[in-house]
Amino acid sequence: MPLDTSAYNLALLRVDGRRWNELRRVHAQIRTQAAADGSSYLEMGHTKVMCVVTGPSEPGPRRGGAGAGGGGGSGGKDAEVAVSIVIAGFSSVDRKRHGKGDKRTLELQSTVSNALSASLHTHLFPHSQINISLHVLSQDGSLLAALINAATLACVDAGIPMTDYVAACTAGSTSTYAANDEAADPLLDLNHQEEQELPGLTVATLGNSDRVAVLVCESRVQVGRLEGMLAVGVDGCKQMREILDRVVREKGQRMIQEGTVERGVGLNDMDVD
Amino acid sequence: MASTQHVLLSPAELAYLHASLSLTPPIRPDGRTRTQFRPLVAETGILPGANGSARICFADGTEAIVGVKAEVERTQSRHDDETVYVEGAANNGGDGDAETKEDSRTGDSSWAEMTVEIPGLRDDDSGTAFLAAMLSEALLADGEFARRLWINRRFHWKLYLDIILISPPLSYPLPLLSLTTHLALLSTRLPRLQSEGDEDPFFDDDWAAAPHLFPRPTTTTPTHRPPITLLVMAVGDSIIFDPSKEELAVADVALAVSVSGDRSEPGEGGAGRKLRLLSIRTIDPPSRLTPPGVANAANSAYGAGNGAPQKMAEARTAEAEAAAEEGVWRAPRGGAKRAVLGALVQKVLEAGGVVDEVLDALEGVDLG
Repeated sequence: MPLDTSAYNLALLRVDGRRWNELRRVHAQIRTQAAADGSSYLEMGHTKVMCVVTGPSEPGPRRGGAGAGGGGGSGGKDAEVAVSIVIAGFSSVDRKRHGKGDKRTLELQSTVSNALSASLHTHLFPHSQINISLHVLSQDGSLLAALINAATLACVDAGIPMTDYVAACTAGSTSTYAANDEAADPLLDLNHQEEQELPGLTVATLGNSDRVAVLVCESRVQVGRLEGMLAVGVDGCKQMREILDRVVREKGQRMIQEGTVERGVGLNDMDVD
Repeated sequence: MASTQHVLLSPAELAYLHASLSLTPPIRPDGRTRTQFRPLVAETGILPGANGSARICFADGTEAIVGVKAEVERTQSRHDDETVYVEGAANNGGDGDAETKEDSRTGDSSWAEMTVEIPGLRDDDSGTAFLAAMLSEALLADGEFARRLWINRRFHWKLYLDIILISPPLSYPLPLLSLTTHLALLSTRLPRLQSEGDEDPFFDDDWAAAPHLFPRPTTTTPTHRPPITLLVMAVGDSIIFDPSKEELAVADVALAVSVSGDRSEPGEGGAGRKLRLLSIRTIDPPSRLTPPGVANAANSAYGAGNGAPQKMAEARTAEAEAAAEEGVWRAPRGGAKRAVLGALVQKVLEAGGVVDEVLDALEGVDLG
């Protein structure tokens, strides 16, 4: 069903009732699975992603599921970040089987891998491998952003040293490329319907800074609109970082309260009770 | 795949484990009784976008998600079917209609498609294909399931069951996948049919009115339930349910037994349940690939073979195999004994036994 963009100018509300600068509901959990070194679950609207991190560990004899190797090969000075993404057949509206060799999945894998190996301190783990396996349970736009956020949370849970959160978000524009509308406004966090019709980009930034770690744009867009979209996207990443940070802190507090971990030194300034 | 996974245990450890598991009652490494299952966390209806879904997390950390999606598909009619259909339509008066409708509800096993996804394994891995075949075989064994997917003579539901193992395969995932599939099928709902007869199907768009694929148990009618596949193994004479990876590494026999428990008459507990054996598959236990131990008498580090002339290597192996020594691990050779197989199956089908317990527990899961 084509997206009707003409109504936007009347009330400045999008199809799902959001304003231009609003994120969808984000719900995240970390340490969802006991057996893994790190795990997370992230929902951005109806996009649902699970992540399991194993490692850093010695790379096995089989390079099991290592879809795309990021910064530096294993056996090198840096740890290899191997990402494998499984897109469930039931994740989209129509059931579709995604093979492991799917080109689109491979590209997602290498993007996530490159984004994280830039932020993780891979030089601390020479000759080893960090396996990140991502499972897409439900998709409704902003898939790459959700994958990056989930992988970041799982790496935090696994306790792998990293520079800062890699928080990702999408941004788009209110009118299509063909409309060539000069007055098009930027939009934050596209859902699937908007992603199909409107130009959009995925941006990930490193922590609180404005440093862009990932910028993927797969649609045609007038260059004049790009700046606005990027600014909105970077702003969304900051909101996303706050959300991820809150999830990690809440989990940490709960673990201290439950006595799972001991209260470390330097935590006195943190409000724990 | 996981059944042949390497377990890092030395021959001495394997021998110890084997000895303690063959005691009566067996002493299991995690202190369970022989029929006790590992605790698990289960939830259903986790994916609003699927017709049915479930997630199960075992205490050892393995976790699986199953999503069921249904699509309407046109039934491929063969030529001879078509003639029967025309004749039937000609013969049908108004009154005999309902009866014929019941009779014509036939299913085809191709109406359900099952895929298993295990991280770190290829799509065409033989182990994954074997798991999928085993699970769908049990489901389709009696033809009753495919008949549920019948809409009318021209259309049927095509059911896609996608099984995803979220965690790395720490133990042989068959019981986990089977239980999760069972729950997902129990929570599956198909839209209510509004059209009648053989016209193009038209459905009620009210999801709240959608009936379950497996109707809720009521107090009056017998209920049909999807099957479960359990992993059972035998060490010596002890029969052990839900083996962990380490236990499986010393198994003499491992069986995957599929059972369905239909309630013939309503009642609490396992009283009214009729257990039916659907299929049995032997699983190649990883114990066959474990390295054998060497008895002190044959170990040169303990002075064996010093005085005697050096024997040929093969002769020595043959000798070692002939003499089974207590406490020296030797990988099981050959097939399972018939008596053991019989005992295994009997134990599974025992009324009020493990299967009843598992099915009762699964019925207790809130289906939302």
